[in-house]
Amino acid sequence: MSIVIKNLKKSYGDQIIFDDFNLVLQEKKITGILGPSGAGKTTLLNLCCGLEKPDSGTIEGINPTSISYIFQEPRLLPWRTIRENLRFVFKGQSIKKSGSHDKEIDEMLRMVGLDTVGDYYPQELSGGMRQRVAIARAFLYPSELLLMDEPFSSLDLMLKNKLMGDFLKIWEQDKRTVVFVSHNQEEINQLAHEVLTFSDKPVRVLKRETIY
Amino acid sequence: MISTKLQNKQIQSLIKIAKKIGVALFWVLLWAVAAWWVDSSLVLPSPLDTLKGIITLSGNFKFFVSIGVTLLRVFGGVTISVALGLVLGLIGGLNKPFYEIMNPFVSIIKSLPVVSVIILINLWIASGVVPLVVTFLICFPVTWTNVVQGVHATDDNLLQMAKVYNVSQQRIIRDIYIPAVKPYAVSALMNAIGLGWKVTVTAEVLANALPSVGMNLYYSKIYLETDLLFSWTFVIVMCSYIIEKVTLYIIERNKRKGADQCQLS
Repeated sequence: MSIVIKNLKKSYGDQIIFDDFNLVLQEKKITGILGPSGAGKTTLLNLCCGLEKPDSGTIEGINPTSISYIFQEPRLLPWRTIRENLRFVFKGQSIKKSGSHDKEIDEMLRMVGLDTVGDYYPQELSGGMRQRVAIARAFLYPSELLLMDEPFSSLDLMLKNKLMGDFLKIWEQDKRTVVFVSHNQEEINQLAHEVLTFSDKPVRVLKRETIY
Repeated sequence: MISTKLQNKQIQSLIKIAKKIGVALFWVLLWAVAAWWVDSSLVLPSPLDTLKGIITLSGNFKFFVSIGVTLLRVFGGVTISVALGLVLGLIGGLNKPFYEIMNPFVSIIKSLPVVSVIILINLWIASGVVPLVVTFLICFPVTWTNVVQGVHATDDNLLQMAKVYNVSQQRIIRDIYIPAVKPYAVSALMNAIGLGWKVTVTAEVLANALPSVGMNLYYSKIYLETDLLFSWTFVIVMCSYIIEKVTLYIIERNKRKGADQCQLS
């Protein structure tokens, strides 16, 4: 089911971010969103996952309990190991004890090249490794929609290319609907099936193009 | 290479200990000079008189009974206030209406003079229990305020992540709020221990609680046994210091790796 945004309105004080905004996002595709800083790209993701509420309008086609989100920062629990951080998002799975999801977790850690650091704490890993944990967490969580807010922006070029490769490899397996926000045209072109270019506030879609 | 490093570390820690002993000796020496200059053990007993006083006191079984009962009061008051402060502070931090109800009560207790609380409580309950209740009343607001602050300072980014991933409230409390509140709770515990001693002993004096360290201090004062007054004060300071160190040691031992890392990684 596609995501349908209808007559969306959202403002912060005098600043109108979305004013009668309409958009359809394709199901099981990666949609990339480009746009200037502060235009409202992150706000759109936050509205989609319920972290923020619209002033008016609707967003249809999203199951609120079935969303994964890769934030700009990894957002890992610093007092938990990598494996415990991944168990954290599984309902009914003990965080400390191994359980039914451990096989998936080990498999995912192997896929993102972190199989040797499952018992490490986040602060013992590099920024890139932590971001890979965040990607692993997003894919491990059984979601229909994956939101990504500039997840590669803080990484160096080599690591970014490696992670984007890993990301596509994992995505190919279950083909979730992905909404991917970035400043970087290259990143978007490399990952997205469809690219939307947003204007400055209030947001309008300036360009919509299909990559492949 | 490694053994040289270890040796250096040992030397450094020995220098540190020597420095501490040096500083302590400096103050004891200053005290001794002041006592010699005053030349009246009634006004200012010397360190030697104080030490003699401790030796005399420790020869009497009642000395240990007094310390034991005072310790029980301190522990009782601090334990109850920290336990309740943790639970109610957590609820207050998470639930605004509960916070609104509790906050005036806590603010009033915080602003009450300790002596007024002691005298007032003494009108209502038995003398022996007064120090415990007063210690609770004085230490509880410290814990409550710290824990509420800890809950409010919990990293919003982690909470948002948990919300998106539909993590249960129970798990959010256990794995985000409680670890985030831990440093605040530890600081509250250390404050409560420090405060607990002072308040308990003061309450023991004002409430005539027996047996107690506080009443022994009081008797030393009325019988003009200044050397014993100093000895009892020294005992209180040492007990407070030892309990603080033991608590810190226990906290350090139980600290999980990474548990003190509250910043978002």
